[in-house]
Amino acid sequence: MAPISIDAAALLTSVQSIVPEIIVVATAIFVLLLDLAISEEKKHLLCGMGLLGIGVALFSVYALGQGRIEGFSGMIVHDGMGAFFDVVILSACALTFLMATGYSEWEGTHKGEFYSLILLSTSGMMFMAKGTDLMTVFLGLETLSIPIYVLVGFHRNRMSSLEGALKYFLLGAFASGFLLYGIALIYAVTGTTKIPVLATMLYDPRILASPLFLAGTGLLLVGFAFKVSLVPFHMWTPDAYEGAPTVVTAFMSAAVKAAAFAALIRVLLVALPGMQPVLWKVLWGLAVLTMTVGNLSALVQNNVKRLLAYSSIAHAGYILVGLVSGDVLGGQASLFYLLVYAFMNMGAFGVVMLIAQKEDEGYDIANLAGIGFKYPALGALLTLFLISLGGIPPTAGFVGKFYLFSAAVKNGYIWLAVIGVLNSAASIYYYLRMVVYMYMVTPDVEVAVPRPPRILFSMALCASAVVVVVLGIIPRSVLEIAERSVLSLLM
Amino acid sequence: MMDPSAYLLLSGILFGIGVAGVVVRKNVLIILMSVEIMLNAVNVAFIAVGSHLGDVTGSVFAFMVMTVAAAEAAVGLAILIAIFRLKETIDITELSVLKW
Amino acid sequence: MTGPADVIFYVLAALTVGSAIFVATLPNIIYAAVALLFTFCGVAGLYVLVSADFLAATQVLVYVGGILVLIMFAVFLSNRISSVKLSNPVHFRLPAAAICLTLFGVLAYTAISPAFVLKQEITYQPTTARIGELLMTRYLLPFEVASVLLLAALIGAALLSRPDRPDIPRPDMEEPK
Repeated sequence: MAPISIDAAALLTSVQSIVPEIIVVATAIFVLLLDLAISEEKKHLLCGMGLLGIGVALFSVYALGQGRIEGFSGMIVHDGMGAFFDVVILSACALTFLMATGYSEWEGTHKGEFYSLILLSTSGMMFMAKGTDLMTVFLGLETLSIPIYVLVGFHRNRMSSLEGALKYFLLGAFASGFLLYGIALIYAVTGTTKIPVLATMLYDPRILASPLFLAGTGLLLVGFAFKVSLVPFHMWTPDAYEGAPTVVTAFMSAAVKAAAFAALIRVLLVALPGMQPVLWKVLWGLAVLTMTVGNLSALVQNNVKRLLAYSSIAHAGYILVGLVSGDVLGGQASLFYLLVYAFMNMGAFGVVMLIAQKEDEGYDIANLAGIGFKYPALGALLTLFLISLGGIPPTAGFVGKFYLFSAAVKNGYIWLAVIGVLNSAASIYYYLRMVVYMYMVTPDVEVAVPRPPRILFSMALCASAVVVVVLGIIPRSVLEIAERSVLSLLM
Repeated sequence: MMDPSAYLLLSGILFGIGVAGVVVRKNVLIILMSVEIMLNAVNVAFIAVGSHLGDVTGSVFAFMVMTVAAAEAAVGLAILIAIFRLKETIDITELSVLKW
Repeated sequence: MTGPADVIFYVLAALTVGSAIFVATLPNIIYAAVALLFTFCGVAGLYVLVSADFLAATQVLVYVGGILVLIMFAVFLSNRISSVKLSNPVHFRLPAAAICLTLFGVLAYTAISPAFVLKQEITYQPTTARIGELLMTRYLLPFEVASVLLLAALIGAALLSRPDRPDIPRPDMEEPK
């Protein structure tokens, strides 16, 4: 057999297209090794090391720019969209690390494995968001999921943590099966797993009409729906979110959602625009169901983590509204909302983490009582994040929802927009309920003393708050970047 | 070789059995085994189609699926063992907190 | 027209499906694990039949030699693991069965419908070399991502299943002086 010839130039371009991912994986391995070398008191260095790595990775995304770099014979691409999601995912990861500085001290997660797994998961998300072949998307998905299963069960001495992990694992593996079978059926009809090639195949009406292909697309959607927790595939979300260490919950809610939506957007907008006439009905139904069930379930929750879990389900529904439209406007709105959502949701989780003194019992809503006046900074921050989640101006959450629903209206899905706005109004009830607890309910017992925040932790909260406010007032430039990102996809 | 649709039918049946096993059974290990059956069904489809098309993509994909299956099994069993450890110390008979 | 290959296909298909049904229905977990062995072997046989030699070998090594042994190990390590049950309420069974039947119907329908995949006359050749070559060229990235995934699984599994207090040295894990 002839030796394999290596095209050095192509290999160099390929490596270039995954520089941020390489940096993240290298940091993960370095953190793991560093863990062995340093003493117990200096474990916070691990966190700093991780942050440094994330910073370098973010810089490399910036340095690569928005140009299109295809790598590894069409397996992955670094385009505007990839860069956008790299930034979202890395920001979420950075916020997680900043919060972990405090959280790890309180809950004993200062371990090399903890940080290393978060970084490995991050790399998986980035591969998934940039993958242009269903094989890359699938492997990215698994690389993001497997560390998350473990991280959810990180508190091995708490049953709820392990149960959440088990449930997430079983349903995640189940969902992977559906996703894979969908890919297999699509491959059976088209003979390819490359997303751009699929797009050209779909000009053939015989393929569009093939039941095998329809079934494959359906199963693929089911697999994705599990991962972004769309109703009726959301059963794992509340338990996994509640059981997981809170800092992991925050990470999951922001980053996993962003990565899974990135891949979904790529598949829907690039590979399946030909199916839009059929697809929009399915997505329409899923979006309405997800928003409504998520919000209605959130109304009755008394555990703050569970409440935010259902709210995150509802938010997946809002983001899906942008995808129903299936055009640049909708895609742009979804991208913008995913970015904003990452900051406001992680901010909310961050404040809640400070108020709760310990895992499990600390997250009862009654625990918020009286916080508002006693600790004005915390109260103000949480209020800001909650009104942003509720979509009240002048926050970024309002701008995001405005663009999502106006994209739906412009494409003629007026009912969808109406249902979305109604849902959004209903959601304000439970967000404000938390605010009411903070400011208007007199606590039965003494006001809970929040954990003293660390400097880095405060930085994470302030950064999130700044993003939420600034994007609420001057969203223009970020919206333009989001638009360019979606356009880069369609080129 | 037979027509690939025979293999696809077989893989559909296997997949259905796997899904049924996951949904109906209560035992965690059996659910895990049923998931493995689902993944095997996927692999049968990939390999039969790939072989029919004379395309190695199917085989490579199946290879990746096997890798992932092994990794998932390892992590899943590790979670189970951790649960078992905790049960031994605090003794709960059922995972009742877990709501479907 | 049925040749010997077709007969073998039907035998293997019956073996695979039959044992898979046993896995999904047998109440005894050890029997189920043994039935799973037959499913895996039957699938490996099917791979040989479509001349996917490398995958057949991998199937035996990874599934039978790895995953199944892992599951058996978990079963024997403690009988009580097998008693870990999910509160999967019985009233879900009927809808579940209905969903499965529907799913099966859809899949069966799609499988026998004309898929018009391009029919080519292929002479079967060993695939191992070709797969190895592609893993180093076209599929280099998935190959590397898979290695990251395995690293994550390794760290995770070790983290979850190691003894509770790793900071306290245990006498049985120390090296003899």
